[in-house]
Amino acid sequence: MEKFAKAFPSKPLKNTAGKPWALAGVVGSGNLEVLVERGSRPSDAMECHIETSIPGYKASWLAALADFAHHYPAGGTKVTINDQGAPPVLVTLRLRQAYDHLTKGEK
Amino acid sequence: MTGTSLFHEQTARQRIAAVVDAGSFVELLPPPERLTSPYLAQLGIPVSFDDGIVIGKAKIGGKKLYIAAQVGQFVGGAVGEIHGAKLTGLFKAAARDRVPCALVIESGGVRLHEGSAGEIAITETMRAIFECRAKKVPTIAVIGSDIGAYGGIGILSTCCDFRVMTEHGRLGISGPIVIEKWMGKKAYDSSNRALVWKTSGGKTKYLLGDADALVHDDAGAVREAIGKLLAKSSPVTLKNAKARQAALAKRLKRFGKTENPDDVWKGMGVRDIAAASLASGPEFVALAKTGRK
Amino acid sequence: MKQPSPRALLGKLFGGSAKGIAVEKSLITGYAQVGGKAVCVIGTCNGTYIGNEAALVLAAHVIDCIERHPRTPIVMLVDSAGQEPNRLDEMLGLASYFGHLLSCLEVARRKGHKLITIATGKAIGGAFICYGMFADRIYALDSASVGLMPIAAMSAVTKIPAAVLQKLSKTMPSLEFGAEPFALLGGVEEVWPSKGDTQARLAKAIAAASADDNRAALGKKRGGRKLALDIRNRVLAESAK
Repeated sequence: MEKFAKAFPSKPLKNTAGKPWALAGVVGSGNLEVLVERGSRPSDAMECHIETSIPGYKASWLAALADFAHHYPAGGTKVTINDQGAPPVLVTLRLRQAYDHLTKGEK
Repeated sequence: MTGTSLFHEQTARQRIAAVVDAGSFVELLPPPERLTSPYLAQLGIPVSFDDGIVIGKAKIGGKKLYIAAQVGQFVGGAVGEIHGAKLTGLFKAAARDRVPCALVIESGGVRLHEGSAGEIAITETMRAIFECRAKKVPTIAVIGSDIGAYGGIGILSTCCDFRVMTEHGRLGISGPIVIEKWMGKKAYDSSNRALVWKTSGGKTKYLLGDADALVHDDAGAVREAIGKLLAKSSPVTLKNAKARQAALAKRLKRFGKTENPDDVWKGMGVRDIAAASLASGPEFVALAKTGRK
Repeated sequence: MKQPSPRALLGKLFGGSAKGIAVEKSLITGYAQVGGKAVCVIGTCNGTYIGNEAALVLAAHVIDCIERHPRTPIVMLVDSAGQEPNRLDEMLGLASYFGHLLSCLEVARRKGHKLITIATGKAIGGAFICYGMFADRIYALDSASVGLMPIAAMSAVTKIPAAVLQKLSKTMPSLEFGAEPFALLGGVEEVWPSKGDTQARLAKAIAAASADDNRAALGKKRGGRKLALDIRNRVLAESAK
């Protein structure tokens, strides 16, 4: 297992109402779960905590998360990930699903 | 998330959302609580925020129920200390509040990585299920996933008042691979899907009377079946135990040496095996109706 | 550890009254006395495998006890390797046969029969789940093999090196195999020395038994299962809101 955490600059989350948290994905082989939670106050950083069963890919994780924080206003959120070897494309998909659930309610 | 509505392809969270009244589900000990397994963490195995089981309160057709769904993708839906304690707590809450409780099963049984803790947890949940039954609070097991209900969870499912199955669901203790290893491929070829499903699948369980409803592989059908059972119960009485003893003895006498599941189907009144093999849910039930009486 | 013969064990537990207990195909059924009071006895011996037929034999005896000997305590002896993987038993609903045995025991409990288990030999996995662990109070002889499975077997199935599991079991008794670690989890009330006065202990255990499930509380108190009780109680508290 490899663990790391980092905060990425991101525009503050737009709507402040709605669900306090959202979850996408499941922990299973080649999959991951992404939990996104609203912070208590506005912020211009997306805080990320990752635990992955496949060590050695920290750089690509950080790149994917930085990219997401750049494209979506996610400032003030906390993103926590449990990963069991998901491919990068799935990481991005789950991030977006969790973010959509959080900001738009039920899909 | 895949956009499908096939029950067996859905995740635990999707199943609950699709089965209960829209927006009625309130999760208990939700993911932000981060109740993750210390055993898996110590072993260097990924953990999950819900420890493989989603529990909460909801409504079906406006009627309250407690509902749980196991996450089969996460260590095979197996029961560890936290997973089991959530489930025990839910059935105990159901007994206390006299609110029906449904468990959507997808589990191979005890989580081996947590040793005996999961084993004890399953038996604690069984005790809690019987607490519900003592108060005539309905307990319903839903078995409709490919992983099925095996090991201790297979036994636990038979402690509930009712079992709702789909043809995808399987109910047993030892899975086909274990049996094949034990008895040899000649006695049980675990890659023979037709044989595996006719041994432990929903249709055979329904014919024998171990499943109370056989429905389409669809959340709407499962919802309807649960809804119908919310006001019923199967009391644990001496009279019922004696009737069950007689029925199980009769079943063993009739079919104890029957190798071919088709012969069990015929014995239970299914005339057209080929048609019944292709039929689904209610269509199968219609074909089987005479036999089950 | 060398196991005594079933007869020797029954004699040790029930003295001369053990003559009222039948042992057939490694299944134990009958009536005996403990401390001068009648008990019903069901169980397994010789580490036998149990299947649909065995479940029915034991269930029939529980029903007989309920009908003919109201409120007589039921002593359950466990020495079984569990279910033998078998396609025919599975096809006919092995889980349902075990569930039926549990239901019969539940009927007995509600009708005032105390349920006491003694793990006397193998009490592993499914063998222990399908009746023994359903008692009001569960005891084990120190010579019994109690637990989900030995570390070597756990290692073979999970692919985790046995040395890793062995090391972790020092701080996580759940991973360790045996009656003592199982007691730390609350799964066993008390471990009895095989050489001790088991008749006196059994009489005391029957007198003290109550139907509340105290195992999660025991597990927390003894430190072997720290989370179960608190999480269960949190579900109960949150659901009441």
